[in-house]
Amino acid sequence: MAKRIAIVEDEAAIRENYAAAFSREGYVVDGYDARQPALDAFESRLPDLVVIDVNLKDDVEGGFELCRELRSRAADLPIIFLTARDSEFDAVSGLRLGADDYLTKDISLPHLMARVAALFRRMDAMQKPQGSTGRITRGDLSIDTERMTVHWQDQPVGLTLTEFWLVHALARYPGHVKNRQQLMDAAQAVLDDNTITSHVKRIRRKFHAIDSSFDSIETVYGMGYRWISD
Amino acid sequence: MNLRRQLLLVSLLTLMLPWAGCEFIRETEIALRDGQRQMLADTARAIAGSMVQHSEEFPVRDKSYGTGDQLYVHRLESRPKIDGYFDDWTLPADSLRSIRGADGPIRFAVASYAQATYLYVEVMDRSVVYATPQSLLVDGASRFADRVTLASSSPPYLREAISFAAEAPGRIISYRQSAYGFEPEPTISAFWQDIPGGYRVEARIPSGLLGTHLGLSVQNTPNAQQAGTRSSSFTGRTPGRAMSNIEELDRIAALYVQSDTRLILTDFRGWRIGAAGELAPGGGAQSGGGLARRVYDLLVEQGREAAFAEPDPLGREQQPYVSAALEGRETGTWFRNASTGTAIVAVAAPVTVGDEVVGAVVLQRGTQAILSQRNEGLSRLINVTLLTTLVVAGALLGYATWLSRRIRALSIAAEDALETENLSSALPSALADDEIGDLSRSFSWVLQQLGEYNAYLRSLASKLSHELRTPLAIVTSSLENLEHEPLNEASHGYTARAREGADRLRRILSAMSEASRVEELMAHAEPEPFDMRAVLESTTAAYRDVYRNRLFGLVCKVDSAQSTGSPELLIQMLDKLVDNAVDFSEEGDTITLSLEEKDQELLVSVTNPGPELPERMRSQMFDSMVSVRSGEESRHLGLGLYVARLIAEGHGGRIAAENVDGGVRFTVAIPRHQGPLSRSDSVRNL
Repeated sequence: MAKRIAIVEDEAAIRENYAAAFSREGYVVDGYDARQPALDAFESRLPDLVVIDVNLKDDVEGGFELCRELRSRAADLPIIFLTARDSEFDAVSGLRLGADDYLTKDISLPHLMARVAALFRRMDAMQKPQGSTGRITRGDLSIDTERMTVHWQDQPVGLTLTEFWLVHALARYPGHVKNRQQLMDAAQAVLDDNTITSHVKRIRRKFHAIDSSFDSIETVYGMGYRWISD
Repeated sequence: MNLRRQLLLVSLLTLMLPWAGCEFIRETEIALRDGQRQMLADTARAIAGSMVQHSEEFPVRDKSYGTGDQLYVHRLESRPKIDGYFDDWTLPADSLRSIRGADGPIRFAVASYAQATYLYVEVMDRSVVYATPQSLLVDGASRFADRVTLASSSPPYLREAISFAAEAPGRIISYRQSAYGFEPEPTISAFWQDIPGGYRVEARIPSGLLGTHLGLSVQNTPNAQQAGTRSSSFTGRTPGRAMSNIEELDRIAALYVQSDTRLILTDFRGWRIGAAGELAPGGGAQSGGGLARRVYDLLVEQGREAAFAEPDPLGREQQPYVSAALEGRETGTWFRNASTGTAIVAVAAPVTVGDEVVGAVVLQRGTQAILSQRNEGLSRLINVTLLTTLVVAGALLGYATWLSRRIRALSIAAEDALETENLSSALPSALADDEIGDLSRSFSWVLQQLGEYNAYLRSLASKLSHELRTPLAIVTSSLENLEHEPLNEASHGYTARAREGADRLRRILSAMSEASRVEELMAHAEPEPFDMRAVLESTTAAYRDVYRNRLFGLVCKVDSAQSTGSPELLIQMLDKLVDNAVDFSEEGDTITLSLEEKDQELLVSVTNPGPELPERMRSQMFDSMVSVRSGEESRHLGLGLYVARLIAEGHGGRIAAENVDGGVRFTVAIPRHQGPLSRSDSVRNL
């Protein structure tokens, strides 16, 4: 059965474009231009994935509101923020509300498609029992590439898709310096230096929450980052 | 010229006051003097009228001899010793009349005292030739000797002469020419004295021996064999009438004179024949004070020197106003004594008998009274106006100082506000009610506008990028969708180009919002300890990789540079500076990074060879959207250095650019130890 994707976006042109792209990939797409119509529609049926714009017409933070309500109804529903607001603060707020990814509208359609596909893959993988394939272990770190989850000292680390790909890219070849361009390619995103810096910062913070002595991601000044394995 | 000097100059206009006052005083003095002269003229006319009764005392007009043939017989006040010296004559030295002699001037004077006539002669003679006793006996006075002859006649009687020649210097015997030849005259006493270059003769002659007409002649003989050259005080055969004060006229004149008045009577030729009275010496004139006098002297017309008012030493009054009177016109004039400031008013009136002018009355009067009045007025005027000038100048100076201090304070405050970008600070004089207050308020307003404009500029970039992002997303997503549609070859080209353009647009937008993201990052960054030297070493290596057509040098003057902060951000700052350095240098140039420590600060600098920075851009080049590049290079929005500045200031440091020899150096100073990263003031203002 085709997956249903809901797009809540006030800008009709963008909504149509994304809908067309998703349809082409074989998804069923519902478009909404405001919070209330979307909520009304979700009342009867929840989609499989929601793409939300933060800023919905006059409803400046309507996307955040919508995300909160959706999360309360369905804990597992994948939610992606796709917005023109690129500030760190907004990204942090969005992710804190339980969104699976926070993307700016700079992202290209193929990248977006890749992410959506990855999210669905992760959902599917979650349904299956844990297999041994697609596992990478580096000391305390273990990465499940199927489910796209990361564990540190056997505790799950809640990473977004972008963060997961970054950790994956670094940990795959420990000791190798990955420059920003390489990390960007791995994350299927067009990110600038500052965004990478803040992503890395967030990743470190999440590991620190589990293990305060975590220092496996090393900054190589002027070059990039590398994973240090004990 | 500053305001103070200008107002000081204006205050000099008050110097017009003393000038105007002096002008007034001068006018007053002229009026007073004119009145005095009028009065004096009336008196002179009255005296002249009364002189008609005494017209018989005035010499008759006689034109049989010239004025030059006459000589004046002075009146002595004491009896001189006959010794060849003039200094016991009570006459000034310029009373000696001078005639031309063969070897130089001959100077002589004739005077009378107590029934005797005195003669003094000074002769320049290169060779004095004495007479021989024999020659004296032959002709009474040697023809071949130097001699002085006093000619005398009482027309119509024949002339006679008294001859003075010497056998030797000392007392000499004089010879009197009579109908019978020369005879020694024992009643005459004479003295011959040799002086360098000539000789002097002094003699006393009983008045009875002389007639009414007198003349002097001198014979100068080069040697005893030759006849000499004769020089005379008269030209004709007989001398002119000897002139002197007539006692009767002196007595009459004395009746008319008052204090500080001098009366002189002259004959028709101007010879003084009567005089009385003295002008007071100008001693009291000093009362006006030296300064007042000097100022006055600068301003008033100068009269003729008072010495010219004195009676003529040679006995003949030749002042123009006297001459005019002798021609029948009554005239007046005035003199000023330069040393005392006294003015002397003088008038001359003709004495006429019938239609004939027989003489003149010359009346002179000092003007002590006017002078003291004038001086008193003058000194008061000068004191008052000087004080006024000082007060006015002082007040203007003070006022100007105050004004210029306010204006300067205002301009300094305005410049300060511009410099520190604290554009909302209050300016001095803002509450003042005058034009400076207005100026201050306009300044404040302009600065405030500028501040708002700057803030607008700063936020413009991120706002613009934000607003443009959605339409750009529409464009890119449409293009990406379009690529999945069946397109012909040409259309593919167009979409590819459109994608390229959109991509470029996206990069520009992301550059534009970089500043605000850096600010956010700094707000959330946690300072961590790091070694600046290590950071520089690894980034320099990275730059060598990235910019392969530039050389990079690193000069570290400290071994380790432990600091706290955000190395990522600092690297980003270095990236901006190096990017800038690369843009402004040529291929193969060496870009030098350096690190040193100074006053607890780390100085990181990036130096590149290349064109110098224009002076006017120096202060603004770290502002948002300011680029020193000329138009074409469109990808530079002037945000790079602004971001660098944000990061430097976020670390509590500062950034500066300077021109060095053949290049440009950007220096960032960062304190070694610092607290949490702060957003700079300029950012907080947003």
